Amino acid sequence: MARKAWFRLAVGAAWLVALAPLGAHHSISAEFDTSKPVTFTGTVVKVEWTNPHIYTHIETTDAEGKTVVYRVEGGPPNSLYRQGWRKDTLKAGDTVTVEGVRAKIPTSMNIGVATITTEAGERIFGTAGRGGRGR
Amino acid sequence: MRTRTFLVVIPLVLLMAVSLVAQRGGRGGRGASAEPAGPVPRLASGRPDLSGHWTNPYTPDMARGAVDPATREPLMFARKGDALPDAKAPASGGARTYDLPYTEWGVRQWENYDPVNDGDYTGNCLPFGMSRSINSPHGLQIVHGQDALAILFEQNTWFHWVPLDPAFAWPEDLPESWNGISRGHWEGDTLVVETTRFNGYTKLDTAGHPHSRQLTLVNRFTRLDSNTMEHTVTVTDPRAYTRPWMNVRTWRIKPSTDVIMEYSCDENNLQGIVDGTIKLWTPPEDIDE
Repeated sequence: MARKAWFRLAVGAAWLVALAPLGAHHSISAEFDTSKPVTFTGTVVKVEWTNPHIYTHIETTDAEGKTVVYRVEGGPPNSLYRQGWRKDTLKAGDTVTVEGVRAKIPTSMNIGVATITTEAGERIFGTAGRGGRGR
Repeated sequence: MRTRTFLVVIPLVLLMAVSLVAQRGGRGGRGASAEPAGPVPRLASGRPDLSGHWTNPYTPDMARGAVDPATREPLMFARKGDALPDAKAPASGGARTYDLPYTEWGVRQWENYDPVNDGDYTGNCLPFGMSRSINSPHGLQIVHGQDALAILFEQNTWFHWVPLDPAFAWPEDLPESWNGISRGHWEGDTLVVETTRFNGYTKLDTAGHPHSRQLTLVNRFTRLDSNTMEHTVTVTDPRAYTRPWMNVRTWRIKPSTDVIMEYSCDENNLQGIVDGTIKLWTPPEDIDE
């Protein structure tokens, strides 16, 4: 149990290392409600490979059984590229699990402070990278 | 309960970690050059050539590691470390302290900076300002010639041009600006870049340390070898601080495989402004007080 907690700590930490430089231009605490964690499994719709944050659109069903598409915030694409990630690392139709927090605005589908894990257990877009520093 | 604690603790721990790594002069192996160090490259004039694609250490909080410019010893001043119970909450969590030698105006700016509720100008993709651009995490390219030096920031794809010709003169009536205007001169093998004429709209760093229109920013660059450069930045702003203070950093050449890339902040921040998740910036009303 303790090891799982530390693992989650490390994963969340890695995510926030990627996000920390962006904290002032886009305050995490201003947009996201860190008291509202969310976990879901869904299907990748598309990846917006844009600055300052990439957004991975993931379709799932909510608690009421309705189909929804969340917009999962990631780090800056230039940093991700240098870590070995690419805009086609995730493809439409891939199944992933997301852990993050909901936006404060109820109508926003943005998810922040998020980790994305594939069915194979790989953490996608984490700062550990995928090797091949930038190229 | 465990999830909530996890989500509260992480921002504090990680932002501290990022800051500490940055202050030590690099982000681990990604900033290190794959090539062994050689001698300092030189221009035809014999001056050091500062050209290159550099890892400038990400520095979100300049108060950490602030030193006396004369001695390079940790800066000492009255009230250092005192709590500021009336200060607004930082975006990173925790609480602000009296961490620099503020004037009354300066500490008021520091206490009142409220990015959580008021947002920050950088969320609108406005220019970060000379200090905060140099503090930024994405690297920069220096193109250095005989009479001028250009700093190309990957952060938001900005540039800053520094004339080195002593005969060059900026127009006297050039308006104040986000990044100010610079002049450079040599002191031995150290390039000294002095920047003034700021509009006062920016902050010195991500933490929100203030400056006024009276700011003079002096960046000194000393290339130590082909891979390494010592960089110091001295803040002199009599309106905000009672005395000058300085940061000392080490820059490292990026591997040749790492290229400078475009960075368009507006790509998705524009939508954030439209839908209200990012607050629209307006000029401060008390900038001249």
